[in-house]
Amino acid sequence: MTLDPALLIDTLGIVAIRLDDDLCVAEICGEEETLAIGDDIREAMPVLYGLEDELAGPAVDLTMPFIQTGRNNDEPVSLSIRRDPATGALWLLRRDVREESEIHRQLVQNHNSLSLAQAELVKARDAAQDADRTKTAFLANVSHELRTPLHVIIGGASILSRTGARRLDIDEVPEYARDIHESGILLLQLVDDLIDLSRSETGDLSIYEEACDLCAVASGIVSLCRELPEARGTRIEAVLPENPVGLMGDARRIKQVLLNLISNALKAVAGRTDATVTITVASDSDGGGPRLTVADNGLGMTPEDLAVARKPFGQPRAAVRAKGAGLGLAIVHRLVELHGGGVEIETAPNRGLTATVTFDPARSRPAPAVPQSAKGSSVTRTSPSPT
Amino acid sequence: MKTYKIVVLGDFGVGKTSLIRRYVLDDFSEAYRATIGVHLYKHLDTLATARPPVQVSLVVWDIEGAPLPDDRTRGYLVGASGAIVVGDLTRADPFTAMWEAADMFEEARAGRPICFALNKSDASAAEHPETVKRMVRRYDCSVFRTSALTGDSVSPMFHALARAILSLGL
Repeated sequence: MTLDPALLIDTLGIVAIRLDDDLCVAEICGEEETLAIGDDIREAMPVLYGLEDELAGPAVDLTMPFIQTGRNNDEPVSLSIRRDPATGALWLLRRDVREESEIHRQLVQNHNSLSLAQAELVKARDAAQDADRTKTAFLANVSHELRTPLHVIIGGASILSRTGARRLDIDEVPEYARDIHESGILLLQLVDDLIDLSRSETGDLSIYEEACDLCAVASGIVSLCRELPEARGTRIEAVLPENPVGLMGDARRIKQVLLNLISNALKAVAGRTDATVTITVASDSDGGGPRLTVADNGLGMTPEDLAVARKPFGQPRAAVRAKGAGLGLAIVHRLVELHGGGVEIETAPNRGLTATVTFDPARSRPAPAVPQSAKGSSVTRTSPSPT
Repeated sequence: MKTYKIVVLGDFGVGKTSLIRRYVLDDFSEAYRATIGVHLYKHLDTLATARPPVQVSLVVWDIEGAPLPDDRTRGYLVGASGAIVVGDLTRADPFTAMWEAADMFEEARAGRPICFALNKSDASAAEHPETVKRMVRRYDCSVFRTSALTGDSVSPMFHALARAILSLGL
């Protein structure tokens, strides 16, 4: 269906006027246009598209205020379309509302800008309150985490220092000394983690960059972890590519990343008869950057638990009884970010967890000339995947 | 080729104009300038995923934003074949104004398709899966996480709405 412009009569400016066999349409879109009889006026006035059914009715009465017309949407008119009951012709009534529109625009712009600014302020306030709550919870957690090993140290030392009839049997001394030593190590780890976390918050956590071999880093950490008491009964596998995987990065910090991820994995698989933790190193063969993956077949997590675990001191419900302050994953994220990379975690309850660390492809480098990978450790090497 | 009227609705400042300008002109501006009344954009497009590809002509009505429906906005809906309802993912509550706008369109143009744009996805990772499910159930619609800044999902959303309109034989 087309709309014959001859039917449209305008009171503001000429929209359509019959000139013998032609119709001249003026100033509809900021330019003079000529339409012939039978041409579709909607092409010159797109506002009429969609209104065909309404315009075909016997009693048309449409009003649309503030329609912006013109090539640049900068000619505001109030548009009314009515059918003249006497002649049956459609009347297009345009009213210039430029002045009215500008006043309205200023009011609306001011109102909207103020409302948007207010919403931003509310968001900033909420974020500040949230940060304050987090800080309070953080201090409470730090106090708790410091107090537990300190109690062991103070209590153990107190017992060791007993004299007279309450003095310990000589056979019991090593046990208390061991507890004090373990608690001291735990405290030291916690303080180191807190320093790292604090430095990352203030932007002072830095990395020492050098070309390193991810395979050497991974196999070294795997060997170390196999010796840990908590790894007893767990199969720790390393899957390394045929060739070294070079990366410009901080080998010590990458070891810390791996150690934290493997430590979390060992907690998740504890008690399983088929406990397995697999560490995989992949090269930058697909251009996506070198990758490290730590996968376990342990408890897994719900998305809610994972969100908790990502936060400093976050302890997912399944891990409440596990050792650790809950700083590991937060530190992993910060350290990997410093390497221009990211950490992706896939997990589901009872389906294990896979953490993939991807480094910035721009950090790919030839591995150092003398790779140390796999020396003295049993690892599985795989052929590079076909490209 | 028939030309279809599409209206874009939602609260002010959610990015309606930016989405339209990204789609029609492939341009983006950070500056906020309130839309007064209605701006019209005519756009010819090809639905390349259709077999064979289909050309569609759309007149997109960029309607002044408002948190609640009003009579003036209702007047702009006459003859619309479909609607895009836009919300801002970075807001504390992106959805109340979206439900209001969708209900207004449904009341005025029952049975015409709606697409929902959860805009500014570049600035928010929020997914809102439950609300999205409710939207799909209630309006039998498509929901897109869009970014006028990056262009993410903008054209696919307009194409989805155009396909839905064509499938109704309007």
